[in-house]
Amino acid sequence: MNSLGYFVEQYVMLAGALFTLGCVGFLVRRNVLVQLMSIELMLNAVNLMLVAFNRQHLNDLNGQVFAFFIIAVAAAEVAVGLAIVLAFYRLKSSVQSDEADQLRH
Amino acid sequence: MQAIEALFPAHNYTLLAFIVLLPLLGAAVNGVFGKRLGKEAVSLLALSVMGIAFALAVVTFFALGHAQEGDEAARFFWKGWEWFRLTRSDGSSIMLNVGFSVDALNGTMALVVTGVGFLIHLYSVSYMAEDPGFHRFLTYLNLFIFSMLVLILGDSLPVLFVGWEGVGLCSYLLIGFWFDDDKNAAAGKKAFVTNRIGDFGLLVAMGLLLYFCGGLDWSTLDSNARGLLTPLQVWPLGTHVPAASLLPQGAEAWLNTPRYVSAATLVGLALFLGCAGKSAQLPLYVWLPDAMAGPTPVSALIHAATMVTAGVYLLCRLSFVMVLSPAAMATVAVTGALTAMFAASIAFAQQDIKKVLAYSTVSQLGYMFLGVGVGAFTAGFFHVITHAFFKACMFLGAGSVIHAMHARIHDTDASQDMRNMGGLRKYMPITFWTFTAAWAAIVGFPLTSGFFSKDEILLRAYTSFIKTPMKTLSDGGGGTMEVFSWPPWLGTALYAIGIVTALMTAFYMTRLYIGTFFGEFRGWKIVKNWKEPEHAHGHDDHGHHHHDPSVPLEGPVPHESPWQMWVPLAVLGFLAAFAGWLNAPLFHIETMHHWLEPVFEKASHSVELIEGAEHLEFVFLGAAIAAFLGGTGAAYFIYVMQKGKPAQSFAEAMPGLHALVVDKWRIDEIYEEYVIGAVDSLAEFFAWADKWIVDFLLARVTAFLVSTSGTVLRFLQTGRVQTYAAVMVVGLGVVGWFFVTPRAEAKVDANDESGVYSLTAAEGLGYSYRWDLNNDGKWDGDKGDFGDKTQQSLNLAVKENRTVRLEVKNAFGRTAVRTFNFERPAPDRSGLTSRLDGDTAPVRRAADLRQAPKPQEVK
Repeated sequence: MNSLGYFVEQYVMLAGALFTLGCVGFLVRRNVLVQLMSIELMLNAVNLMLVAFNRQHLNDLNGQVFAFFIIAVAAAEVAVGLAIVLAFYRLKSSVQSDEADQLRH
Repeated sequence: MQAIEALFPAHNYTLLAFIVLLPLLGAAVNGVFGKRLGKEAVSLLALSVMGIAFALAVVTFFALGHAQEGDEAARFFWKGWEWFRLTRSDGSSIMLNVGFSVDALNGTMALVVTGVGFLIHLYSVSYMAEDPGFHRFLTYLNLFIFSMLVLILGDSLPVLFVGWEGVGLCSYLLIGFWFDDDKNAAAGKKAFVTNRIGDFGLLVAMGLLLYFCGGLDWSTLDSNARGLLTPLQVWPLGTHVPAASLLPQGAEAWLNTPRYVSAATLVGLALFLGCAGKSAQLPLYVWLPDAMAGPTPVSALIHAATMVTAGVYLLCRLSFVMVLSPAAMATVAVTGALTAMFAASIAFAQQDIKKVLAYSTVSQLGYMFLGVGVGAFTAGFFHVITHAFFKACMFLGAGSVIHAMHARIHDTDASQDMRNMGGLRKYMPITFWTFTAAWAAIVGFPLTSGFFSKDEILLRAYTSFIKTPMKTLSDGGGGTMEVFSWPPWLGTALYAIGIVTALMTAFYMTRLYIGTFFGEFRGWKIVKNWKEPEHAHGHDDHGHHHHDPSVPLEGPVPHESPWQMWVPLAVLGFLAAFAGWLNAPLFHIETMHHWLEPVFEKASHSVELIEGAEHLEFVFLGAAIAAFLGGTGAAYFIYVMQKGKPAQSFAEAMPGLHALVVDKWRIDEIYEEYVIGAVDSLAEFFAWADKWIVDFLLARVTAFLVSTSGTVLRFLQTGRVQTYAAVMVVGLGVVGWFFVTPRAEAKVDANDESGVYSLTAAEGLGYSYRWDLNNDGKWDGDKGDFGDKTQQSLNLAVKENRTVRLEVKNAFGRTAVRTFNFERPAPDRSGLTSRLDGDTAPVRRAADLRQAPKPQEVK
């Protein structure tokens, strides 16, 4: 506990759990939509870390500003990602990522 | 004469350029326009350039004679232009010119080359008249004369070498003149390749002469030749023989003993290798008999009169180099004598008229080398000239006979076979009489040219020897060697071989003479007023006219050759009979000797005669005449009185030996088996290596490895996002592990002289440090806490030891320890003195700094 009565370790653990959840979700699920959601989960875990650590530097808001950037970029990424998913669905009538094999064959 | 001297002064004798370049002009014009010019124009041009060159050579010869009134050697130069420049290691440069010079030796040689060359050109115009390659033939002949003149008139070894290769090329072209026959093309190739072996020797000799004498033109070599009296270590090649230590000690010491050869001997042997190739000496003589595949005038000009004597000319030209090495001279003499005898023995059993003459040429060349080898340069060179006359005459006579045989026998081998000749004396009187003159000369009929020149060689073989220049040679650096000295029995042995060869020569030449010109004609049944039944055959047109052997061949009376062919025969026959009077010491005529004396003046100091040599002249004369009488008498008895029966019974009694001699001692087969076989197996080995190492191991195995690894790696490229992401996660884990592990590293700055050793710990993320500098086992500082001090230094006394420990802790609380050992060495005294002298930088000894093995204690 620091002088503000606040445990950074708890946030780190929460963010680690979220990140692991997103990572495992990305690795084990084949549904592209779920994978996109997992990516969002990992990005938000990172955002949480940035904000939590930034609380330790009272005169410095870089971490929080960075979190906003990430939210904006993540929104753009979701827009592009969903567009790809739509195009993919039109092509294959499926949203399973292991069916994206046209470059291989 | 004054006009010539005024026009062409000795130092700028431009006439030489005309002599050399005229045949080149003929070759160039005939070679390019020959087909369009027509036969008359081609022969006119070829003959006129030769005639003019001969006339200029005569003028030069007399101008030389005029200039050489006193004892001084006269020499005319035409400097030409600079060819190339070599820079030596000491910075001086050697300039090589395309320059020509003429003195008594090559003036005489040029006279023979252009004179005999002109006669043979004249002969060829008629002999080759029907050949479709007429202009090509005369082009090659002109080109040959040009190359030969470059060879003999060149003022330095490189220029000579250009001519040397040029005559080799022309020889190749002319041997294979009728190249549609594989046999002829192969003979040309054989001549060329064999000559290349000799050329290697000549190149080596040039390199050595350049190194030791600092130049390659005759006058530089002449003045610096004594530089060759230096021992060279030729064995072992490095400091010791590799793997010799595996042998017993005595053998090892024997193998590792340094062995020396004088540079003069190396140069002499290398030169002789070149000469042995060009002049068909053992063991490189094999190309010359095969070279008879060329047209007969070629055999007369190149392979009897001129080119093959180039080796003798070169040894005479460099006589002052050769005499510096008695060993090389002995090699020359012994090789010459053995070649003479060996070739004569083969000539015994040959039936082809040109083959007999070819082996006879090899044998006579052996005589020339014998003469040169014992230091009788004049005698050897005189034999070159007389041999040019009588052997050219014989070859042209043989050509005339073959020409006559071609009236009915068109096969090359059959038309040259003595068994188809005989009795031509009646039908070809001029050929017969000129051949008789040449025969008399070669068998040593008294007072003919061959009698004088051969006997001079034999006499000198017995009486003269090469003086050893000095007992031992030293190179001033510990290398010394004893100089080979001429053994006393060598002269006797050389003479014995020579006189036996003279006997053999008389025998086989008489056999040839009788077989061709006496007895009954055996070629075909002679029918007066015989007419060719169907189609006409040209000479040498090689339309193989196969005849039914059961019906006896009929044909016209063998005819004498046209004047273009018999005039050269008559001139050469005359010279063969009487040229001996140029040098007949028996009658105190020594024109040739005096003429060449200035050229061989320097070399003659090294040649000595045995005691009482002057009394031996008449004894040897008797022996020579006995050899002539014995040889010819035996041949007359066997082939005329007994009609060849003893020869037949001999062949039947000893079929093995007879077959061996007929097969030329099967030397070609031995070469085929061992030399060519060795080259072939080498080639096979490289073919194998190419197939299995380059193509298989380097190309296919590499390609296989690449494609296999591609196949394996392709399984990793699943195309599934999850797989790639999983690999990323694993990689992230590894990088993360690297970051959370602390590392204790420090840069050490050691100064042995002042005893100050400083340490700078490497920094890292969130690192803190603690030290143990005094080696007391406790961490420094009040409580042994971690601090932020990264730099430490300590002072050490001389020869003091110290162990320093460093521990680091990172942000995660993990630690690592490292130990450093220091020892200050004793001051370096030699470094101290040199520093006091102040002339060299202080010598810094490498610190005896040992780093302990890394005990990465991770807590």
